[in-house]
Amino acid sequence: MSRIATPGDLVKLRDRLNAKRNAKATWLAVCAGTGCRACGAMALADKFEEEIEKRGIGDKVGVRRTGCHGLCERGPMVMVQPAGESYFGIHPENVPAVLDQVETGKGDVEQFRYLDEEGGKRVSKLSDVPFYKHQNRVLLENNLWGDASSIEDYIALGGYSALAKALTEMTPDAVLNEVKEAKLRGRGGGGFLAGRKWESVRKAEGEPKYVIVNADEGDPGAFMDGSLLEGTPHSVLEGLILGAYAIGAAEGFIYVRQEYPLARKHAQLAIDQAREYGLLGEDILGSNFSFDVKIHRGAGAFVSGESSALMSAIEGHVGEPRPKYVHTSEKGVWGKPSCLNNVETWANVPHIINKGAAWFKGMGTAESTGTKIFSLVGKVKNTGLVEVPMGITLRDIIFKIGGGVPAGKQFKAVQTGGPSGGVVPEALLDLPVDFDELTKVGSMMGSGGMIVMDTNTCMVDTARYYIRFLAHESCGKCVPCREGTRQMLNILDRIASGEGREDDLGLLEELAEFMQAASLCALGQSAPNPVASTLKYFRDEYEEHIREKRCRAGVCTALIAYEIDQSKCKSCGACQRACPAGAIDKGGKDGKVFTVVQEKCIKCGACFSACPDKFNAVTKVPALSIKR
Amino acid sequence: MDVNETAPPSDARAVVLVIDADKSFVKTCRQALEGEGYKIIVSPSGKQGLEAAKAEAPGVVLLDWKAADPSDIAGFDLLDELVDVNSDIVPVVATADATVDAAVEAMKMGVFDFLSKPVSPEKLLETVRQAVGISEMQREAETKEEKADKYDLLLEGLDVLGEAYSIGLEKRQFLDDLARLENVAKSNAASRGEAKTREEAIAEIHDDLLDADAIMWNYDFQKNALIQILLDVQEKFRWLPRHILNWISGRLNIPLKDILVIANFYEAFSTEPRGRHTIQVCTGTACHVRGATETLTRVSAALGIQPGETDAKQRFTLETVHCLGCCALAPVVQIGSQYYRDPSQSQLAKLINSLEGAGGAEEATTGKEA
Repeated sequence: MSRIATPGDLVKLRDRLNAKRNAKATWLAVCAGTGCRACGAMALADKFEEEIEKRGIGDKVGVRRTGCHGLCERGPMVMVQPAGESYFGIHPENVPAVLDQVETGKGDVEQFRYLDEEGGKRVSKLSDVPFYKHQNRVLLENNLWGDASSIEDYIALGGYSALAKALTEMTPDAVLNEVKEAKLRGRGGGGFLAGRKWESVRKAEGEPKYVIVNADEGDPGAFMDGSLLEGTPHSVLEGLILGAYAIGAAEGFIYVRQEYPLARKHAQLAIDQAREYGLLGEDILGSNFSFDVKIHRGAGAFVSGESSALMSAIEGHVGEPRPKYVHTSEKGVWGKPSCLNNVETWANVPHIINKGAAWFKGMGTAESTGTKIFSLVGKVKNTGLVEVPMGITLRDIIFKIGGGVPAGKQFKAVQTGGPSGGVVPEALLDLPVDFDELTKVGSMMGSGGMIVMDTNTCMVDTARYYIRFLAHESCGKCVPCREGTRQMLNILDRIASGEGREDDLGLLEELAEFMQAASLCALGQSAPNPVASTLKYFRDEYEEHIREKRCRAGVCTALIAYEIDQSKCKSCGACQRACPAGAIDKGGKDGKVFTVVQEKCIKCGACFSACPDKFNAVTKVPALSIKR
Repeated sequence: MDVNETAPPSDARAVVLVIDADKSFVKTCRQALEGEGYKIIVSPSGKQGLEAAKAEAPGVVLLDWKAADPSDIAGFDLLDELVDVNSDIVPVVATADATVDAAVEAMKMGVFDFLSKPVSPEKLLETVRQAVGISEMQREAETKEEKADKYDLLLEGLDVLGEAYSIGLEKRQFLDDLARLENVAKSNAASRGEAKTREEAIAEIHDDLLDADAIMWNYDFQKNALIQILLDVQEKFRWLPRHILNWISGRLNIPLKDILVIANFYEAFSTEPRGRHTIQVCTGTACHVRGATETLTRVSAALGIQPGETDAKQRFTLETVHCLGCCALAPVVQIGSQYYRDPSQSQLAKLINSLEGAGGAEEATTGKEA
């Protein structure tokens, strides 16, 4: 492939590519996101290709390995394009059935269609699956229709048309104004207006200027940015190039988290391809504008997702934040003006340039425009990636799209905003989700992690989980964060092990206030949120742990014990075989049934899950009842 | 075979030629070496030394960098001639005139060690032992043609090490690294059924340093690429061996202290050896609320190690990780490049056995590509 020298060439190439795509009547889009790959999606795609060749239908049917389709819970999945029929839970042995269906319409595929529990009917089209029906997929749409590692697919789907438009029809100021006008806010959690940030970098003195993609998505339980970058890396890259044009930057970085090898691979591939096609490098599309990008791999540090820390890491130093009296927009990487936005923010830019600020503002609320991607995980039926207009309620996301909590359990709370956010109880589920509303109730929208919790989730344990994470990830530079998280963890450990004191809750609140006021960066300032919000809405659970030494969710291991119900045990031995600690023996009734030897038990729950449902003999009981 | 611990052989290979007019040094040599079974031949001048080298075929030669008599052959020239006579000879310089320049020059020429007079008998013995070890290995390599490559490698290695001194790396550091590597090799000997000789250890270090150079080359030896370089080293070696960090420190002119700060700050790096297989238990929030704590307890019990630990035989390392980005599989365990949804006890046992049974890291990479 030779360079695309002018915007006209790009249009011609797009026509050619589309003709090539349309030459085949059917494409099978196999989801090859991290989640589906983990379930064997790559072997599935290989099998499809093999079988297609065997049947000699290669001229009619093709295979695409696309980005994450979103409904990870039902993976691996395949979508028949352009018809839109979808099959879930497909494994290599099911390939012939799907191809039969494609060829003759008589394949045995009914079992792989989505079962709508409410209607009790099978749904054939992806757009009719409730999970998708209530979404508004703008950014994630390419994940369905294009091969994740193909620039040709991206161009065929309209990719780089925003870049061509900007470079030929718009001045850098016009691009900047469009983004300002769209009121695009940073998707990483802070919600700062991207246009305003761009403008201050543009106005700042100093050359060269840098633009940076923050793909150091460190919130545990969030994988929006990773999925975007691995599924449609070119849209992030195009956004970055547009930003560089608007700001006047000649060089950019993509800072990718170490735990995302696939995102890194695809981002590198995208950069190489864009260079080859003349969309990166010197004189892009004959416009005299030159720009290039490098990938910087993160080395595993949550705090390095903070802007000044990330820039320090790019320079090759320890990724610690620094005080912000000098903004990174004025003095960032190597002391030069630098503009950092996260993956999702950059990915929005091509859409804004293509369709205009007015279109963008048509989605979402007045102050939070556009769509937002959430990773909906935890105790929810439809785990996956969700893109919705801002302002939608939590209830709609969790129940309409997510399908609610799995059968037999009750919803308890949803945690948003990652370690910097908090929990939202059932009573507040009708709150609209945007940058401002969730903050008012002690949580935040954050970068988009949404962890659903049911009655089997302990709120003390949840707070302890986040504080342990933050205590570990605190860089230790400032005292309030370093010592604050550590002391909070001590107190929470104490409460979780049944040794909490009456005044511990007051102490936690005092610490929280101090850390919010005095920490250096956002990590420390927001660190108390998980504690403060669980205390606010679930104080009774804390009090139970302290006063009654009881964990109602049965999570805090020090407060629970496993026991085998002598009357229910049928001596099948499943629990004994499962126990890694040798803590189960036949010491029960007449030496015939099993019992747990409490002294040896490590409380791993292996026996609990191993005991067949029909017997249900292994139970969790409060530890106190055993000691008696 | 470990050169340090076996008694020096009493045959002709253990001949040490001392070319030195310094009587007190010659006395030290006799005291230190003769009692240990080495045969000492003394030549007070360079010319006599050359004759002796022809007649006796010594394995090691000790020489001063400067001659007492200016008309005598010495230093660089003497070394040249000695190598002409016997290319296998292992030269060691002992001189009262130990300037840095001289040391650098000598090391570049492949001198095994550069001692500053006066030399203690212990130091002398230690150095000669090592030099004899090298000499023996060279002869062995000569007699066995298939070992010729290794011999080249060793000389090349010495060249590289010579270069290391010239850019300011401490010789002492290298010997420390070597000793450390040997200890590791010894402690592994029982489990792997193999032990490394000092020569093999040197060859190994040499290979490592070449690998490190190749990695740094990719980043144009840029200081600010340090983190990227360390990531590549970590990926290649599964940890950050100290001798490589020393090497990088010298190459990039970054104090070792600064490199260690980086290595300890970021979680991707390990300054301890890691197992051939890494087992990661995801403890991201989604996994946590779906029971990752119990999963971790079970995996830990099955492997017999705690999170962050490596077993004694360096087969497995158990790690926790915050979110692998496949929350739908929660709670998820990653072994090699495969993901498992909350594996049961028997599944775990099978997995672990299959890894161990194969014993090789290659096994872990087969399967579903991640």
